[in-house]
Order: sequence, then C-alpha cells, then structure tokens
Amino acid sequence: MAVTPENLLRRPLTTQKCTLGCPVLDRCLAGGIPCNSITELVAESGCGKTQLCLQLALYAQLPLSNGGLSASTLYIHTEFPFPFRRLQQLSRSFCYSHPDLRCNPCDNVFVHAVHSADQLLDTMPHIETFLSEPKAQLPIKLIVIDSIAALFRSEFDNTPFELKRRSSLFFKISGKLKSLAKRFGLCIVVTNQVVDYIGANEGINGLRLGNFGSLYSSGRRVCAALGLAWANCVNTRLFLSRYEEVIGEDKDLKEVEDGDYLCRQTRRQLSVVFAPHLPDCSCEFVIRKEGVFGVG
Amino acid sequence: MEVGRLPISASQRGKLISAGYTSLSSLSSLSPSDLAKDLNIPESEALEILKVASLTSRLDKQDGNHAFVNGAQTAWDMLHEEQLFPRITTSCADMDEILGGGINCKEVTEIGGVPGIGKTQLGIQLAVNVQIPVEYGGLGGKAIYIDTEGSFMVERAQQIAEACVVDMSEYNDLLRKGNRACQVRIQPNDILENIFYFRICSYTEQIALINYLDRFISEHKDVKIVIVDSVTFHFRQDFDDLALRTRLLGGMALKLMNLARNYSLAVVIFNQVTTKYTEGSFQLALALGDSWSHSCTNRVILYWNGDERYAYIDKSPSLRSASAPFSVTSKGIRNSASNHKRIRMM
Repeated sequence: MAVTPENLLRRPLTTQKCTLGCPVLDRCLAGGIPCNSITELVAESGCGKTQLCLQLALYAQLPLSNGGLSASTLYIHTEFPFPFRRLQQLSRSFCYSHPDLRCNPCDNVFVHAVHSADQLLDTMPHIETFLSEPKAQLPIKLIVIDSIAALFRSEFDNTPFELKRRSSLFFKISGKLKSLAKRFGLCIVVTNQVVDYIGANEGINGLRLGNFGSLYSSGRRVCAALGLAWANCVNTRLFLSRYEEVIGEDKDLKEVEDGDYLCRQTRRQLSVVFAPHLPDCSCEFVIRKEGVFGVG
Repeated sequence: MEVGRLPISASQRGKLISAGYTSLSSLSSLSPSDLAKDLNIPESEALEILKVASLTSRLDKQDGNHAFVNGAQTAWDMLHEEQLFPRITTSCADMDEILGGGINCKEVTEIGGVPGIGKTQLGIQLAVNVQIPVEYGGLGGKAIYIDTEGSFMVERAQQIAEACVVDMSEYNDLLRKGNRACQVRIQPNDILENIFYFRICSYTEQIALINYLDRFISEHKDVKIVIVDSVTFHFRQDFDDLALRTRLLGGMALKLMNLARNYSLAVVIFNQVTTKYTEGSFQLALALGDSWSHSCTNRVILYWNGDERYAYIDKSPSLRSASAPFSVTSKGIRNSASNHKRIRMM
C-alpha cells in the first residue's frame, strides 16, 4: 500500500521513454513512447501501426544511453498471423545499423496470441509471473497489444447490458495493464482500429476527443473504435493516417486503357490526439523496407 | 494576558508582546502585512497568527454567550473567514472569474470532461498554483496529488512550475522595479518537492489512502489542496454490485468533505464523462451515476466548443451558471488566445 508519497524530485525529471528508432519521430513525441502509462496507436489498416510496434520491439533492446530500455518485449497479437517475416526483415536492418549487438534481436521478442478479451484477462496473472521472473537476458519493459480492437469487435451485442459488460472489461484490462506498468516501469503500447464516422454533428456521434475536431484517413472521416469508454482507459492517443496524393500521370498507361492512369503516392502522418505531456503536433512519416521513418 | 493563551511559538508570543499586542481585540482588525511589518516576520507567519487569534477569540465568545452547540459558527463569521482565505487561481483569468476568483478552500469541487480536454493539465496547474507564496496573493501551501490513471508526467509538472516562477518574477519586476531583496525565492524544484504524489492502482488502495489522508494532513498542515485524478477510473472496473459502489463512493466523498472543512483546504476531484441513455437517445453525462452527483459542492464541466476549450459551472451553491473559454498552452492553463469576446452568461 502506497501510503508514503513519492518525492517527485527523486524520480528522473523526465519520464523514461523508449525510442521509436527514428530521431524525427522521437522529436515529435519528446523522446519516444513513455513508460508507466498506456500509449494507444489508432489507425485504419495499412497505416503502419504494426510496423511501428515491431520497430519499437527491436529498438527497446538498445541500451538506455541510445534511447532504448535495454529490455525485451512481450508482443501480444490478436490479429493473425503474426508478421514473423517482417520482423525478421526489420531485425536484419536493425542488426546492420547496430553491429555491436551480440544476439539475434528476435530472441528478445516474446510473441503470445490472444483470441478474446476474457482470455487476455485470464493471461494477466501469467504475464505478471513472466515479468517478475524474467526468462530472458533482458528484462521485459515493453508490452505491445496489437490490436485491442480485434478482441472486442465481434463478440458483443449492441444491447445496454452487453455494452456495459464490454466497458467494464475495458476498465479491467486497462487497470491491470496500468498497475503492471507502474510496478515494473513498463512501456505499454496498444493499437486500435478506426470506424467510419456516421451521421452529422449530432449527439455523441460528433463528440470531439483531443486536439482534432475530426480525423481523416484515406479521405474518409473516421473515429477510433471502442468509443468513449475506452478513450478514458488510455493515457496517450496517437493517430496514424494516410492519404493518396496524385503526383503525375503515367503516359504509357493512359494510351493503353482508359482506367487508372494517375500515379499516386501514399503519404502518412502521425498526430498527437491527446497526451498529458505533449502539445498538439504532427509528423509525416514513410514506411520503407528498413523500417518506419519520420520526414522533415 | 490574552496573547499568552494563543497556541503559537514562544518567540512569536514574545514578539507580539514586545510590539504591544497583548489583547486579542488588538489583533482583530489588523491586516497580515501590518502585523508582519510590526513584528518583522514574514507575511505568511503573520497570517497564521491572525488566524489563530481570530479562532481563539471566536471560541471565547462562544463559551460566553451564544454557543449552545460547541463549535457552531455564525454565518457572519463564516463569511468573514471565507473572505480571509484566498482562492487558488487556475492561471486562466476567465475561468477564475466564473469560479468567483478561483478554486475555493473548504469545498469539494468536481471537474469533469472528455479525454484530452485538459483535466490532468488543470490538476497539475492547481498543484503548482497552490504554492504561490502569500506575498503574491497565493496560499503558500502544499499539494497532495492522487494519481489513479497514471497520466501525471513529471516533466509537464516541471514545465508548468517553471512558467509559474517566471510569471511571479515578472510580477515582481513590475511591482518593485528590480528590487533585489524581493527576488522570487521559490524555485521549480521546490514546487515539485511540495507536491505529495500518490500513485494508486486499485479502488481498495484509493479508499485506504483517502482514509489515511486525515492522519497525513494532520502531520502536514500546510497541505492546502487535495487533487484526485480521477476518482472514477477504478470504480468503473469491477462493480457488479452498484449499491456497494454507491456506498463506497458516498463514504469517500464524505471523508473528502470533512478533510476540506477540518483543514481548510480545497479538494478537487476529476471525473470522466460517459454516455447515458435517456428518453431514447444517448446523452453525455459525468460518470458514477446520479447519487454521486450530490456528493460535491461544486461541479465544473470542461467541454469543446468548436476549436475552443470551455469550462462551465454546472452546479454551485454560490456561483451562477456561466462558461468561460480556456486554453492549454506549453506554460499550462491560460486564457484562451482568441478571447476578446465577453464571457457568456447562460
């Protein structure tokens, strides 16, 4: 029981952060993903949520002096299959740029599959034991849940009782994760999907959360899945979005068919929706074979 | 000699007597700054002496004439006392104005709003502002910050504290044109050191801590604000028995109210927003249900109006319903940048 208050001067004056593996993105997030709290990545599929999480799992292994946590990662995936090949690919370029690492970085990423919200709650005690008796050389300091939305999308009916059960589960999961985060100094990252925004600005549909009046991705207006109750469960919400930009016309294609002859380029952006420690800011990024990089 | 009975230190008593203050009535109509000058002591100490003296003389009166209930106060005394206590500024002049000058001591104020509206920011701001020294119109107190959600970030607290110190020195320069003797003594690190921070991970811990606060504050009498950010989080997890939840919350609210009254401190509790199904449609409402909404003296709702953040007085025994814009800046809570409109009365 915490009956003695913490002296704020005794802890580091900035919360420990885990680097994203790119100085531009780190600058946007004031050093990376903070420990002791839950950071949520919200995006439609194909925006780079999983890419960013995999990259984080690798860079968390870096020593503290390089912005990492000197730690291994527990990667809980709920969408299948787990992208092993991509992790492998990223880890090769990670090894290439960090030749002083001794072991295979993939050895420090523990992958666990979870199929339902109840199963996730049932796993929590095991996770706790796993954290307190580390099997790996590096202690676990990063837990990724990719994605939280997949656990909740189908199983619940749209009745008041079911909705109540659902939000009670949100708070249980979040409470448990936060208490683990506090106890072990963990960095917790969850990903969330988006749903299309329906209806006009009426009632709670148009409810604004955070720095943006509305969120757009691929030209559609979207909002984070799981609603208001879940939004209360995370400390920091980041939004990844993409849009197609026309950069020119392909002459050859134009002659062949009357279909799509425009050359497009996908542009991606990371924005802070809300965070206790960050101002309203955004950063453009690209996804390459070697990983995710901020631009500008 | 009447001052001989005051529960103050021997040196203070000596100073009082040698300055000629021997009776309680001689202290009754004195301002803290005059007394501070006469006794050559800091103003905060003078204020403390005056408070003790006024309490003692009131108790005397009650013993004599009209005190049929021990500890009873007349409304006049209460008004006088309320005026004696400065309010805690929010650093946003517009919000202070609708709050009647800031957050009031001796009261429980509930503040609710959607995620990202700036509840935690306001909490940190109040934890810093309660420490503004008496000579700058503050309380010179300390803060208890109960963090149930883990959103308190030290670096943000430091940022806000630094901005607060800068504001104070600007005020100083303005008032006393570079008088070196009056430099701001308080430093950002002092401010951080005077926030008693508790991180709470379950509702049982939350209840236990609030039960323990009475003892803690009796040992740290300079605590002038208790901030609970948020009261809601752990009470939305595991409660199938809603009657139990209501009882626990009611008990907790009562304890907080007693703390506020007994130690003359401000209690600020943050609440989340939820959707409530009424008359066929979903409406936004503060969480924890109807019976909880009676637990707090004041209720302030933070909401978005277009691109601007607003605070709205939803319930208060002494303030009228009004709303005011505010903004969250790198320095903390401030007036809204685009605010040249007048405050809208609702």
